[in-house]
Amino acid sequence: MSEGTFPRAVPDAAWVTIPDLHRDPFPIYQQMRREAPVHWVPAVNRYMVTSYTACHTIEQDAETFSADETDSLMKRSMGHSMLRKDDPEHKVDRDSYGSTLRPGTIKKHWNAIFEANNEKYLSELQAKGPGADFVWDYAAPYAAENLRLICGFHNATQEDMQRWSQTMIDGTGNYADDAEVWAKSAQSSAEVDAAIDEMLPLLAENPDHSLLSGLASMPIPLEAIRANLKMTIGGGLNEPRDVLATTVWALLNHPEQLASVEEDPRRYAVAFEESVRWVAPIGMYPRETTRDTVLEGVQLPRGARLGVVIGAANRDPDVFEDPEAFNIHRVKKPHLSFGGGAHFCAGTWVARAQVAQVALPSVFKRLPGLRLDPADPAVDAGWVFRGMTKMPVRWN
Amino acid sequence: MSTIIFTQPSGTTDAITVEEGTSLMRAAVTNGVEGIVGECGGQAMCATCHVYVRPEFAAALPEIADDEEEMLECTTAERTERSRLGCQIPATPELDGMVVDVPSDQV
Ligand code: FES
Repeated sequence: MSEGTFPRAVPDAAWVTIPDLHRDPFPIYQQMRREAPVHWVPAVNRYMVTSYTACHTIEQDAETFSADETDSLMKRSMGHSMLRKDDPEHKVDRDSYGSTLRPGTIKKHWNAIFEANNEKYLSELQAKGPGADFVWDYAAPYAAENLRLICGFHNATQEDMQRWSQTMIDGTGNYADDAEVWAKSAQSSAEVDAAIDEMLPLLAENPDHSLLSGLASMPIPLEAIRANLKMTIGGGLNEPRDVLATTVWALLNHPEQLASVEEDPRRYAVAFEESVRWVAPIGMYPRETTRDTVLEGVQLPRGARLGVVIGAANRDPDVFEDPEAFNIHRVKKPHLSFGGGAHFCAGTWVARAQVAQVALPSVFKRLPGLRLDPADPAVDAGWVFRGMTKMPVRWN
Repeated sequence: MSTIIFTQPSGTTDAITVEEGTSLMRAAVTNGVEGIVGECGGQAMCATCHVYVRPEFAAALPEIADDEEEMLECTTAERTERSRLGCQIPATPELDGMVVDVPSDQV
């Protein structure tokens, strides 16, 4: 992208529509990136940032590009979580999560639990028989049950986790201001508050490795605990669910790459990383400018609401060769799917463990001849969040 | 101010002047040293600031804390006894002239 001496005005992308983005955002991103790294997009009421360099610049400069967005729908839906705070306030909340999500605890504690949950939900999928839906009969309950235990909701079910997650996420994306969406989101939010209130004293007496257990003994305001847990319920469920289904979908559509992975199971980790680059489960997140600024040669006013479009940055041809292709053999470059800087995803290692280490190898081992159902095609959709919404499968 | 020399696998070097207290990761990223990514901004959470420190400087380094220890188990390139996270090493006068090797793979 060439930068002139003078900053250029932001081009208008009035041609972009939400239904088109939802169906398949990638051709839209290609066209936008060819024109400019940043566009004003009236349909989403934001500046959408689509080049790798511009997204990366934003991640590294929290002073100019604040996470603490004005009138944030997420704050309304989930409360003011760490995801919408800047340092130093952000760091206090982030540190309160302690070592629960770190590789050491995962190895010592969570991996065995992930294995047991995987066994359970893969068996349930098998029992349903060919034609079962990979997303809803396996990936979703598996991710939800893992998350339930990581959070410490011993008083809830994985179905509760799925309902809470979906309704509160629907609230964070409720740009249409639909009253019914707000009502459901508020109902879940109240249920989560009640569940936290019940668990904190129990876990203070009988501590375990969960997030709530750690928080039970910390001087963190209840309001912050509630908001952060709700954010975690949102982010900790869809993302592993979607990356698991997307990776399997991609491998089933590329049999030669699947053969290569099955030959050397260490390549499951590579397939996982390529999958999150190719289809970032969180496709866009918001930032807000704190001053007038020039981003990659484009002039932006103070208070500009930005959409950092990771889903587009990860397919920037300036960084990735043949970016639209799923290719586990590509030269590895850092993708932006886990975010960067202070907000680098706290659940990264948990996602890698439960999906790449535990789920993927066992799926292909336990379901020989796994294939997409030719009679009932899979559907991928979304742009703020993107994943498989339907994926019927068959096996031998 | 200390000067830190980053050596690439190809043999090319960057000599970077680092302010006291600034981490090797931050200095490398700010100066565009290839192969130091620093995804997590220095929280010992991503292992993309992995470097190999030459043995003659080992004694001048801070101890490896638990967070760094577990993240060193997650590096993409092989961990050796010279492995450290660049974000956990602040520049000090004792480190002036230190040579670190950038690994072949970081992600
Ligand atoms: S920058 Fe992430 S571990 Fe050092």
